[in-house]
Amino acid sequence: MKLSETGILTKADLVEMGRYPSEERMKKGPVAVAECVQDIPCNPCETACPFKAIHIGENISNLPKIDVNKCNGCTTCVSACSGLAIFVLDKSYSDSYGKVTFPYEYNHSFKVDDIVKAANRGGKHVCEGKILKITNTQKADRTTVITLEVPIEYVDEVRSIYRDKQHQSSKEEIMSEKLADDVLVCRCEEITAGEIREAIRQGATDITGVKLRTRAGMGLCQGRTCEALVNQIIRQELGNSPADIGFSTPRTPQRPVTFGTLGGDLDE
Amino acid sequence: MNKTYDVVIVGAGVIGTSCAYHLVKKGFQVALVEKKDLARETSSHCDAVALIPDKMPGIDAAMGYASIQRFKELEKELNYDFEFHQNGSLHLCETDQEMEIATKYANDLIAEGYAIDILNPEELLEKEPFLATDLKGGLFSHECCGVNPYKLCFAFVDAVQGKGLDVYTHTTVTDIRRDADNNVVGVETDNGILKTNKVVNCCGVWAPEIGKMVGIDIPIKPRKGVILISGAGFPICKQKIHEFGYMVSKFDDIQCERDPEVEKYNVAFTIEPSAGNNVLIGSSRNFDGYDVDAEIDIIRVIAKRAVRFFPILKNINCIRSYAGVRPFIEEHLPLITHVKEIPGYYIAAGHEGDGISMAPLTGRLISEMIAGEEPCMDVTPFSFSRYK
Repeated sequence: MKLSETGILTKADLVEMGRYPSEERMKKGPVAVAECVQDIPCNPCETACPFKAIHIGENISNLPKIDVNKCNGCTTCVSACSGLAIFVLDKSYSDSYGKVTFPYEYNHSFKVDDIVKAANRGGKHVCEGKILKITNTQKADRTTVITLEVPIEYVDEVRSIYRDKQHQSSKEEIMSEKLADDVLVCRCEEITAGEIREAIRQGATDITGVKLRTRAGMGLCQGRTCEALVNQIIRQELGNSPADIGFSTPRTPQRPVTFGTLGGDLDE
Repeated sequence: MNKTYDVVIVGAGVIGTSCAYHLVKKGFQVALVEKKDLARETSSHCDAVALIPDKMPGIDAAMGYASIQRFKELEKELNYDFEFHQNGSLHLCETDQEMEIATKYANDLIAEGYAIDILNPEELLEKEPFLATDLKGGLFSHECCGVNPYKLCFAFVDAVQGKGLDVYTHTTVTDIRRDADNNVVGVETDNGILKTNKVVNCCGVWAPEIGKMVGIDIPIKPRKGVILISGAGFPICKQKIHEFGYMVSKFDDIQCERDPEVEKYNVAFTIEPSAGNNVLIGSSRNFDGYDVDAEIDIIRVIAKRAVRFFPILKNINCIRSYAGVRPFIEEHLPLITHVKEIPGYYIAAGHEGDGISMAPLTGRLISEMIAGEEPCMDVTPFSFSRYK
């Protein structure tokens, strides 16, 4: 089964495209693989690599080419890739076990030496794995990078940890978490949690009050992304009930439509 | 909340908050009572410009000019940024006939001392390069300015709250109490009674409801206006722009041929850049009760007019629309008045689309009337006694 049939990338797809490291290279030591197959205009991996092993070039929609001879598997590119598509594979670890390093941007409570359920590219639990390393550096901007020890035959399959309910923070934990003042809450208008708290200090008691004072929710997505967080902040600050906090008002059009389309028959 | 105040203001839109600010500045203890929250209705469902070339020569234009001067002072007086900017405005003429009417009209305003340039088509395109190239000319007014309407309300309240002003939001007025001689003695709310000898009805389109409480008929009707928002990330225009037809939709006594399709909803193209780097595009005027739905039929006509004047908009997204109801009054003159028959009952309402621009002056006039001072301009035209 391949990407074109299931929507999930496989090793076979990558091998066919010449984008997967050879068995020989993986047996020599850790090496990065960019499982990036869409022409997305994006190149942070190229600039992140300290060994200049990744090449994209002038056209930033090109797919990254990794020079496996220059790459030493340092994992810098793993957290740099905003698409979470770069992994580091190592089959030199032992005869029966290999290592997979991947980005992990969920809340978690994992510790080194935990035995966890390893997941494949489709998110399915395929085998057990042992956590060897968890890093979360300032430079990685809060992207956690985890290295897992898995049976060597699963190195080509495992790309994450299965999202088990017991490893997720509870709803209550998430909702009671206080966002730092510099966290962007409304991404369209670039409004931070601190600015929303300031609006509440100025007298806003509901979604509309915050919107009028800060523009949070006035952007392209019309509050679909930030409304729940704004609601959470108001509740934390004032203890208001959800009914008092209210909702943003739905406005036509629900998706952006050009003025030309709205005006209709303009060419006649 | 059973307290006593010098003045109780009903309605916390731009008129109510301006009256509150100006009254506190005169030393009065003021309560501002609002059914919902600050600036939740007309004052946050509008665009906000203070213009001269959309006013009839005479008292109307004089008020527009005085308001602009007052905004300049307020920008220094108030600590809260209400996004005041003065970059002029353009009025566009689509036909030779419109240009002829506009020229005559502009000359009347120029004769009254206002700074207005009459532009030919080339001068128009110099000012706004994305405009359609077949326009016949236009008017540029140097003085015109814009503000953020709801931030203006917040600014007025922010300046005086707790310093003479108490704000009661989410509080509904249920009755106005009077004594045997019809004098106002208090305001009843769902939260208790506020004792006062003076009440100001600043409820805009809802002013008639507060009028009924004292048995008077305030002839204000809600007139709906729809506005569209673009998602453009680059400046399409530099200033507020209106088609001259806007005048026709405001004042029926200017005679001008108009496209029958736009006649139904009184659509006239307007565009203004916003602080969020998108543009606000209007406008329509129609009577539809208190309904504030932006109907697709109206949106379509506005979009069509917008592309006619700014062809570049054809491929630019509309991301949002909204509508508000404006307090329409037949004479195009607001009520800023004491009601003689009910001593202590004042009205400041009925500004239709001029509420934001006339708010500072309205607040000032009401504060002067209540303080027993000579008003800064002749208030006879705004008097409720004009209905006798």
